[in-house]
Amino acid sequence: MTGPSAAALPPGTREHLTSPVTQAALRIQNSITAGTREYLGMNGFVELQPPLIGPVTDPGCRGAKQVDVDYYGHKYKMMTSVILYKQASLLAFDKIFYVAPNVRLEPLETSTTGRHLVEFTQIDVEVARASREEVLDVAQGLLRHVVAHTLRESKVDLSTLGRDPEAFTALLEEDFERMTHREAVSRLQGLRHGQSADAEIDWQGERIISEQTNRPFFIVDYPKGSRGFTDGESSTEPGVLRNFDLIASDGFGELCSGGERTHEYRRLIERMRETGENPAKYAWYLDLAREGLPPSAGFGMGLERVTRYIAGLDAIWQANAYPKLPGIAAP
Amino acid sequence: MITARQLPEDAIRARAREGSAAIFPDVAGYGRSLFGADVDSGTDELDRARIVPPVFVPRRLEKMFDLAREPVYGDVGLSTVLGGFTAPSPVFLCAFGSTQVAGSGLGIAASEQAGRLGMPMVIGENVVPMHGYGRMGESAEDGLLGRIRAYADAVPDGLGGVVVQQSTEDADAEVWNLVYSDPSATKLLETGRLAFELKVGQGAKPGLGGMTVLSRTAAGEIAEQYTVDEAFGKEQAMVLRSSSPGTFTGEILRQQIHLMRNNYPRARAWVKLHPGRDVGEAARVAWAAGADAVTVDGAEGGTGWAPSVFLDQVGLPLVECLRRVGKHDASLLVSGRIWEGARALKCLAMGASAVGLGRAALLAVDEDAAEGLVRLVRCLELELRLLTSALGKYDLADLTPDDLWFPTWTEQNE
Repeated sequence: MTGPSAAALPPGTREHLTSPVTQAALRIQNSITAGTREYLGMNGFVELQPPLIGPVTDPGCRGAKQVDVDYYGHKYKMMTSVILYKQASLLAFDKIFYVAPNVRLEPLETSTTGRHLVEFTQIDVEVARASREEVLDVAQGLLRHVVAHTLRESKVDLSTLGRDPEAFTALLEEDFERMTHREAVSRLQGLRHGQSADAEIDWQGERIISEQTNRPFFIVDYPKGSRGFTDGESSTEPGVLRNFDLIASDGFGELCSGGERTHEYRRLIERMRETGENPAKYAWYLDLAREGLPPSAGFGMGLERVTRYIAGLDAIWQANAYPKLPGIAAP
Repeated sequence: MITARQLPEDAIRARAREGSAAIFPDVAGYGRSLFGADVDSGTDELDRARIVPPVFVPRRLEKMFDLAREPVYGDVGLSTVLGGFTAPSPVFLCAFGSTQVAGSGLGIAASEQAGRLGMPMVIGENVVPMHGYGRMGESAEDGLLGRIRAYADAVPDGLGGVVVQQSTEDADAEVWNLVYSDPSATKLLETGRLAFELKVGQGAKPGLGGMTVLSRTAAGEIAEQYTVDEAFGKEQAMVLRSSSPGTFTGEILRQQIHLMRNNYPRARAWVKLHPGRDVGEAARVAWAAGADAVTVDGAEGGTGWAPSVFLDQVGLPLVECLRRVGKHDASLLVSGRIWEGARALKCLAMGASAVGLGRAALLAVDEDAAEGLVRLVRCLELELRLLTSALGKYDLADLTPDDLWFPTWTEQNE
């Protein structure tokens, strides 16, 4: 397996659902969700059901548009991420997770990245009073467990797709490397990729950097201005966020984003303004924060992205029964 | 009846008679009038400055070496790059906001003519909340999409660009996200001719957000999002709708620009500032954060509704904004009662990269919806060529404050 190549667009619904590739991919996905529930259940997490709509969802990032819903005359949003609800749920339990559907109208150029869907599912994890380092361990442990579980349970399907189990040897045996955003930028600039030091690692950069490793790794410490207000800022290094991305090996790119959260009321208001948000939209959430939300850290892992990585698929739409790509109308 | 000749008696009596309605221009003129400061409000040092050609013109000699003949005004080059866009002259079309005056077809007519001219065009921040986007059953006419299409269909390859504003409350409407993912904007995006402008303020009402006058019915529909005020009295059919001006510190401005660049890497990032006393510092923060252009709207600017006291007494005149921003290498765009070549040239000499047409452009398309703006811009361009060549210069980048004489400055300096 040399990593994913540019994939064609999805065929019609019948052809897609009856394809042996789709069927193998969806059985592997089933194994991934079972492995997820097993690992998080063993580690004391409570699975909750996520809300689908609300007065606000998380702030849109990288140009993705939210979907408006007419809720008895109020303008509600489909969830692009349940991050705010994850933080609120820690008022009930200290360790929670969702297997949460999300809708993001991504910009048109993402239709050909092989890893963007308009409708997708996230494994959303949040831990009260955890540090970033503690949730990095959870993310690494979860991915390892899921890979081991799938290699065990889905041998035939992986073989149908031509995925070599050896591709995961390093993942299962060695700790994931942790590099800072600054190091990732300088590595990319060294490879003559024009990566901005103030911004997210761009799609192409993520692919380039992912192609150079044999096991997943973490990028930590993104600069403020590259992420929404929920990502917590370092108290010792202003301008540096206490967050991370988990990047797969072999060109599969980002699997997961997370970090420590902004939870203090005044900091939330400041960070909302820095990200161009109007605090009035977030009244219910700010009311909770004013009375106190626990500090926390967590992450969201893209289910279709993990499926694509483990199954070794060319494109993310192969890991979804009814794929919707940006700008392309589909059932 | 008592009199008080030393006081503006008519204005005082109007307030006593009409209450808060009297602090605004006559509401009966809303939808037909363009506002902004009066010509005689006494702030305009820029108009009083004179353009002063020198006797000795070494740059004309340089140009003569190039041409091997005497240069004439037609040899002045006007084409420029402003805010990342290539433009045939240092002129752009300002945002008109959501005033009704810019609706009713004038916004579309102005867009089409600006496109034909290849002149960059800014679309106001609350066009979407007030006139809609133009998709999913909404009329495209006067909506954001209608203006973008009118422009994109007319603009020559390689020239111009569309700039879409968003301010604090419009973040709810997600205007930028909408445009960035819209197939209609793809051509502009792919050719590097789409920008987003973070609107921090506006010339006609520094420190206030946008204001419009609405019927009670229309106001009811947006009451969740905006402040609605019975400013004109309960018996009036119209009410005042105000936006929040937003809250900015240096850090908030810096991070909002970083986020724009991160979220919309294929679009240019512009910032519009009101004529605040710290406009120079704000412009430097914006440029340092990576803004492709900073637009400064002088206190003389504005098409939309504003309290009279703001029109007459709040904010720095454009000339003072130019002084406070000072010399720089970045793109500085300015607006404020620009309509002809002299005022435009004075701004360029003071450090602006380009000037914006607001009220003048609307008047021009109102006069002739097919050609009015094109003719107005052609006149301005001819004057710019004549004036620049009179200064013995043939490149706009060579203009300096030495090309101007300010009567008050000379007195101060002596």
